[in-house]
Amino acid sequence: MASQRGERLTRLGATAPPTLFLLAFFLVPALIVVLASFQFPGEFGGLAPLADPGDGREHGLTLENIQFFFSDFLFTEIFLRSFVVAAESTLICLVMAYPVAWLIAKSPKQHRDFLVLLVILPFASNFLIRVYAWMIILGPQAALARTLNGVLGAFGFEPVSLLFSPFAVLVGMVYVHLPFMILPLYTNLEKHDPLLLDAAQDLGANAWQRFWRVTWPLSLPGVFAGSALVFIPVLGMFAIPDILGGTRDMLIGNLIKDQFLGVRDWPFGATLSIVLTLCVLALAGLAAWAGKARRTHA
Amino acid sequence: MRWLLLLCLAGAAHAADTLYLYNWNNYISDASVARFEAQCGCRVVRDYYSDNEEMLAKLAAGASGYDLLVPTGNAVEALIRSRQLRPLDKSRLPSLKNLKPEFLNAFFDPGNRYSVPYAYTVTLLGYNIEKLAALNLPTDTWALIFEPRYLAKLKGRVTVLDSQRELIAAAMRYLGYSVNDRDAAKWNRARDLILRAKPYWAAFNASSYIKELTVGNIWLAHGYSSDMFQARADAKKAGRPFHIGYSIPKEGAVLALDSMVLHKTGRSPELALRFIDFMLEGRNSSELTNLIGSGNPNRAAMRYIDPEFFQASADNRAIFPDASTLGRLEMLRDLDRRQRRILNRLWTEIKLR
Repeated sequence: MASQRGERLTRLGATAPPTLFLLAFFLVPALIVVLASFQFPGEFGGLAPLADPGDGREHGLTLENIQFFFSDFLFTEIFLRSFVVAAESTLICLVMAYPVAWLIAKSPKQHRDFLVLLVILPFASNFLIRVYAWMIILGPQAALARTLNGVLGAFGFEPVSLLFSPFAVLVGMVYVHLPFMILPLYTNLEKHDPLLLDAAQDLGANAWQRFWRVTWPLSLPGVFAGSALVFIPVLGMFAIPDILGGTRDMLIGNLIKDQFLGVRDWPFGATLSIVLTLCVLALAGLAAWAGKARRTHA
Repeated sequence: MRWLLLLCLAGAAHAADTLYLYNWNNYISDASVARFEAQCGCRVVRDYYSDNEEMLAKLAAGASGYDLLVPTGNAVEALIRSRQLRPLDKSRLPSLKNLKPEFLNAFFDPGNRYSVPYAYTVTLLGYNIEKLAALNLPTDTWALIFEPRYLAKLKGRVTVLDSQRELIAAAMRYLGYSVNDRDAAKWNRARDLILRAKPYWAAFNASSYIKELTVGNIWLAHGYSSDMFQARADAKKAGRPFHIGYSIPKEGAVLALDSMVLHKTGRSPELALRFIDFMLEGRNSSELTNLIGSGNPNRAAMRYIDPEFFQASADNRAIFPDASTLGRLEMLRDLDRRQRRILNRLWTEIKLR
């Protein structure tokens, strides 16, 4: 009895700090954002007061912000476009990361830690510096653009601009988020039992069948984890479109940032954030539901 | 107990001897700051912003303790109306007399109760002189960034400011309207003009156009005169085979008069006043022009300014506009929240299409 209570106390002691941390720094701020999305913008920035200040200024709650969101298809369109960019980035990351993760998992044990270190090495330099480096690599005077435009020119095509384009944005997104796909995939693939593949071979499966029917289904948890780690940050990213994007590359992250740092419209920024969060939650719910359906089906 | 008291005293003394200056990036010379520190026996702690809205957002989020800010007119207006500024004790500012009268009594602060002009920039066009000459293009009109007949020769080599107010203002001037006109129909016309020109632009850019001009990737940029001054100097220093020039379009442009103001939450208003008076002295003020290329509202600074700035050229006319050019420059006024939202939707449309 006493030991049970002690155990419960220990468990409480261990879980209380992270729970309190999440309450204080996640739940409470999230609720503040929800509240802000129903307030009026302050004339000079910030939020209009909730209680009547007694001088005829706007105050209280309103549905105006969400109405503004739906008043024009524009805002929905930016959401759709951002989801497409996030999906593209995730897919490219997956295709590029899978072989890398597989190779690391298959390499001799004494090399693996070093290879993983190489994957995370870029984090040693600042994110913005790495993105600015892409400005130089993709710039019109760099070898890449010159070679490409030389070849295009030889075939009589117009020269293209690599920098300030949707292509540059995609390159930046994939480059920055690639390690977040490689690492969970590697952690998953490393644990696979090689005997399973031997068994499959003994049963007559060719290389493709061994991958598609054994390795791939077993790696799905890693695929899902990596995809979430890429998809969600890409959705909110504003720095990469700002730096590498052209004249049509505004994404939802840029729009939200503008509301706070550009046009003094915090309530609308809050509304956009809430809509984004709801979209992501709905997507995560859908993925979980699909996973469950798969399992029960199998 | 005694050490605690000592610590408190030291802390108080420390606060009184430190000036917290919240200024634009690259908008004061290190030499001026070092001289002020030596003169007052104090420390100047600098913090930077790259946009008025960024500064207002930070203050609205509760940032406090800044003694001195250097906002542009419309932001001064917003700060005054939201009662965030401390009125100036002018008896402490003997050098106020140095300011040119045409820069006093601006719309945002009649009688200069809260603000003292610091320097100004003009939003204009900076360009690669050799490239534009080779393409036979004019350099003194907004048509360059708005008219497809010119842009066809510059496709992918043009950036415009990533700023709602500034880009719409340029379009409004080109269409012959005031930059402060709030008529939605005129804003829509400006939007249409921008959307027609947009396919030819490389990017909306607020930060890297200096570098892009300097290395020759971009041949024409919509931006601030002080940035163009820097791009010109950088290209020269790097020994590029081309030169950067800049000029105020003949249709008129936006003038940004930046002023020194005291924030209410600052703990060293005395020191801030001393700093304002220090920056009003001719020699100190002249460094804003000599080193940064800002326009200078200070009469006493004129004799310390490099004579090169007074030679007749388009570049110099952008730093010291003559009376007729000055008449075509306008300062932006603050918009109310409903107007901001209308413009916001317009801008989102511009960005998306």
